[in-house]
Amino acid sequence: MIENSQQMLKAINSIKELKVGIILLMILIGIAVFAPLIATHDPYVLNDEMIAKPSSKYIFGTDGLGRDVFSMVVYGSRTSLKIGIIAAAISSVIGTLIGGVAGYMGGKVDKVISEIINMFLMLPTFFLILIVVAIYGSSLSNIIIVIGLTSWTGTARLMRAQAISLRERTFIKSAKTIGESEMGILFKHIIPNGIFPIIADSTMSVSSAILSEAGLSFIGLGDPNVVSWGQIIAHGKGYLTRGWWICTFSGLAIVFTVISFYLIGEGMNHILSPKLNKIK
Amino acid sequence: MIKVQGGIGVKSYIGKRIATGILTIIFSFCITFFLIRYAPGNPMKVLAGTDNPNLELIEHLTIKYGLDKPIPVQFVNYVKNILKGDLGHSYMSNEPVTKLIKEKVFPTILLTLTSSILAVVVGTFLGVYAARKVGTIFDRVMCGISYFIDATPGFWLGLIFILIFASTFKILPTSGMYDLRIEKQGFAHVLDVIKHMILPVSTLTIIQIPLYFRISRSSVLQTMSEDFIMTLRATGMKESQIFNKYVLRNAIIPTITMFSLSLAFTISGVALIEIVFAWPGMGRLIMDAIMKRDYPLLTGIYLTISISICIVMIITDIVYAIVDPRIRLE
Repeated sequence: MIENSQQMLKAINSIKELKVGIILLMILIGIAVFAPLIATHDPYVLNDEMIAKPSSKYIFGTDGLGRDVFSMVVYGSRTSLKIGIIAAAISSVIGTLIGGVAGYMGGKVDKVISEIINMFLMLPTFFLILIVVAIYGSSLSNIIIVIGLTSWTGTARLMRAQAISLRERTFIKSAKTIGESEMGILFKHIIPNGIFPIIADSTMSVSSAILSEAGLSFIGLGDPNVVSWGQIIAHGKGYLTRGWWICTFSGLAIVFTVISFYLIGEGMNHILSPKLNKIK
Repeated sequence: MIKVQGGIGVKSYIGKRIATGILTIIFSFCITFFLIRYAPGNPMKVLAGTDNPNLELIEHLTIKYGLDKPIPVQFVNYVKNILKGDLGHSYMSNEPVTKLIKEKVFPTILLTLTSSILAVVVGTFLGVYAARKVGTIFDRVMCGISYFIDATPGFWLGLIFILIFASTFKILPTSGMYDLRIEKQGFAHVLDVIKHMILPVSTLTIIQIPLYFRISRSSVLQTMSEDFIMTLRATGMKESQIFNKYVLRNAIIPTITMFSLSLAFTISGVALIEIVFAWPGMGRLIMDAIMKRDYPLLTGIYLTISISICIVMIITDIVYAIVDPRIRLE
């Protein structure tokens, strides 16, 4: 076990993207966890100075209502991480199950599921999310569920390909001969053995979920009860000429977060496909 | 084991793709129809106003728009009308949905196509160039930049552009499609529109470039590492000749599929950017329809978008099948 974790550390160290991504993510999680300690003001309190320039009192300045932008950005990390991670988890679970069943079962089941996946790929997903959130209310849980339910297609395709290649392997055939049930093989052998690329893919889904939420919040469909970066940007849009800091810093926070997940995903892909490494 | 299935020609391939397309349209239409109709809240109450709602008016409107009938009946009626090319009337403006969409569709298409084509050309060019110079500073810098752009929300980039080019330097117009104060004719009008297009189009192009950059770069690298390239090298063929004749053609093909796949995403991205730049396109219409619970307009827009995405995807698939014969055999 120790050897294993040491190996893993070595692998992480050798891939620059993964290293940088994990460090960035650690910082981010730290900010989200210790938000009350880091924030200089209460993000919901309206201070007396409106659209104040960044200064030692207000590190990122204040917005049009006098809220401290720095504290809002700090608290916003909680919202973004929560949405990104839970939504990606939902979509990965759905995608893995659907893709796994399709690839492993093959035949008619596969045909029908593949057709459904193809149809989902053609749907304008963001617009669908928009409609659902607009109509069924923009609570945090609604946003998370809708994003999760609409973005599983990529994972499903990946898992399907994995299952198809694993299905022909000898150890699966032996498991069958021993008399293991189909479901048992799927959950005990196919999914665990094919899961690694899925994990790499899910970190990418986290980023796209965060971007979707930012987009929703930007057009006023975010959860009004929490602070979110998209909402800060939407608010800052009205004060663009007088207060550039409102939009700029919250946007940079999004870029920072999304990039950390991208780097981790990309790094994992490098471990998975040595061929890619060699080319580099 | 290479298994070549005979008999599947381009024709049946296209037929299959069209069938999937039609299925998708029906499917996405059903989803939206039922999602919207089963939604909480009554649009007729919104129409009647909140200050002094008139019950008779609400009843009259409900009957007028057929909302008193059971939902399956509404569905059948709606489908019947669609087959006649009628998407119903907007609740808010009482104008035909098709007319409202028609007014707004051109500016959106203008933005989408201009930026997509620019992004394909620039992105592919940069990607191929980076792949040829793999490992150099240019390649590394471009890869780094592509990560950053990928992580940037388009609407935010648009706002930053407004901040830089319109507020600080005051060179470009920030909003709208043309100058509302001075009416221009002919060429001057076109010039005016182009000037207004610069910022939204550059925003959209920039956020799409990384996609094509990465695809073309990795597919060039992939092709370069194939065995047949090694063989060609062994025959003593010039490197530039190998590249132009064999690598490039194989490497460009994946960008074609990407083009159609990304279009679905671009359309939603365009909506956000239209809102940023107050571009008079579908984005604004979508927002209004959502905020005012204009069901027919909403379903109409969604249907239009789904259909156009399907058509574009089918066309690209066909082009793809013609360009790359391997696809047909799969």
